[in-house]
Amino acid sequence: MATAALATSWRQATASVAGQVEYGDGHWWLDLDVPAPFEQPVPGQFVQLLLDGTETGSLLPRPMSVAGAAPIDDGWRVSFLYAPVGQGTRSLARLRAGDRVEALGPLGHGFPLEAPGTPVLIAGGRGVAPMLFAADVLARQSAAGPHPRRSQFVFGARSAQQLVGLDDARERLQRAGGALYTCTDDGSHGMHGNVLQLLAREVAGFASPVVIHACGPHGMLRAIAEWAIAHDVRAHLAMESVMACGTGVCRGCPLPRSASGRKAWTSAMPSLFGNAEHAMCCTEGPVFEARELDWEHVV
Amino acid sequence: MNAIDVSIAIGELRLANPIMVASGTFGYGDEYAHVVDPRTLGAVVTKTVTLKPRAGNPPTRIAETAAGMLNSIGLENVGLQKFRAEKVPKLAGLGATIIASIGGDTASHLERLLSALADESAIAGFEVNFSCPNVAKGGARYWTVPRRLTTTMRRLRAITNKPLIAKLSPDVTAISELARACEAGGADALTATNTFVGMAVDLSTGRSKLNRATGGLSGPAVKPLALARCYECVQAVRIPVIGSGGIVTGRDVLEFLAVGAAAVQVGTASFLRPRASVDILAEMRSILAAAGAESIEAWREQLIARGAGLAHGLGPSLVQRAGTAVRSESRADSSNGAHATSGGEPREIATSGAKAGESERG
Repeated sequence: MATAALATSWRQATASVAGQVEYGDGHWWLDLDVPAPFEQPVPGQFVQLLLDGTETGSLLPRPMSVAGAAPIDDGWRVSFLYAPVGQGTRSLARLRAGDRVEALGPLGHGFPLEAPGTPVLIAGGRGVAPMLFAADVLARQSAAGPHPRRSQFVFGARSAQQLVGLDDARERLQRAGGALYTCTDDGSHGMHGNVLQLLAREVAGFASPVVIHACGPHGMLRAIAEWAIAHDVRAHLAMESVMACGTGVCRGCPLPRSASGRKAWTSAMPSLFGNAEHAMCCTEGPVFEARELDWEHVV
Repeated sequence: MNAIDVSIAIGELRLANPIMVASGTFGYGDEYAHVVDPRTLGAVVTKTVTLKPRAGNPPTRIAETAAGMLNSIGLENVGLQKFRAEKVPKLAGLGATIIASIGGDTASHLERLLSALADESAIAGFEVNFSCPNVAKGGARYWTVPRRLTTTMRRLRAITNKPLIAKLSPDVTAISELARACEAGGADALTATNTFVGMAVDLSTGRSKLNRATGGLSGPAVKPLALARCYECVQAVRIPVIGSGGIVTGRDVLEFLAVGAAAVQVGTASFLRPRASVDILAEMRSILAAAGAESIEAWREQLIARGAGLAHGLGPSLVQRAGTAVRSESRADSSNGAHATSGGEPREIATSGAKAGESERG
């Protein structure tokens, strides 16, 4: 967990769709205008998007990772990058400018991008959504700060076509004064291999210490976590879970704690966090440091 | 609009309005205070507390279904000690009506919990969770034996005069028998009902989508089922019945009130929108205002005066709850019913049901 405090700045708001465009390989980029007092989201946080269930047939809100945020007159324009893979996201894909959607957020804790060291962003497939946002934030910090840090971005997918958002990633890294490294499972773009192999090949060239921030399939995150622990590197990993409320009250999204995670937990922690055995993905995460979770038992 | 009297009574307790938030959907009462002022609700029912902390079930705990969701949380909670030391003092500061939900494997567990909490001034009353479907011990199945409910309620009744509400499982042949058993043991009210046992299979693995084979189904999918269980309880007992199951709108609330529920609990709706309970309350008030009713009682009397529902079996429960002369007749009937061990359905329902059938055929 990024912090032992419970975030209570989230709000329930009615957002309006500013626009939605196809983003490549069946993905969509959705811009929502969310009025204040909805607060500024940070990379790694998520927003619960709720459509009218009587029309969509799906009851629960969809926890959506934030892909970008920019201030507007009265609130925030919050962006999402997703693929319509289920009933709920297919309904989201039908949203057009002017449509309304209920937004609850920003929820959870994001990536600690301020952590000292070289930020190494790692994205697997559509896990790129929060990493684009992270790259954007690092680019802004780099433009504003007196001592710009060089960021690194490792981006992998099954094939070239599935490197969705590659151009946007490149643009953000240019602004951040960083470099972009790509790989594909089939070798159709960048290195032939996975993100961990690419990281292992390149990491010696990154200014030490490196701090990893990653999002992607749990198998990929587990591999990164194990590598990071073995190499004494900090790694912050954005996890996924089935969720109902997204705020901790339903207790629906437990993740297994590691032995050290169990030791670090105390009964003085907020009741909407998990317990000694399970961390709650929504309130303690969705970003966890590699050492907090029992990766053998992550589903 | 605020002039409408929507207050209701549960035992000695007066609630400002009939909208409660259901156990397990609103934390311990303090966590949502930044989005919902809990003083605006009739009552907040806390997450069920057990003697020892419970870690709850492993992932996966949630599965979405058509218009509903399955959960298998497994009564995860902080345990009595932490609840008393850390939560109760916070609840005292909220100024809200707090109903503490207690759960146990046995009557003795419940006795110990209630004895420890009975004198806490921050707690206005207790809901006894006789109906968790997701635990190996002390769950819904254990608590569907009427005699066990009666003897347990008697033991709890001896501990406190504060309102005791029995929350029942819907997964029985005749919930009226459980309702009468709790009433006979001294319960002040019933909650009808907890979630319904359900399943969902992941076809890619051939396994349950949950950590256990089954979970508890909630949400709009169960509303008609819960409404029927609530109605059956209202027919069977004299004590107030709190309806719960799939309520997401003010109209849903009024359906429960129309079949005789004294109050309702909003559960899954709070997962979709944390402010659902207060929005539902506002909607209920505006429907009453539009009907020109100055109280829930007056609205029910309007329904009775219109004859609405009488031909469809709603009459007896409405009349029973309307506080008129007919009520005492109905009381006599239902206390007879309380002694009947078989049948389950009070005579009145069968009669009016038959009439409805005849008039439709005619």
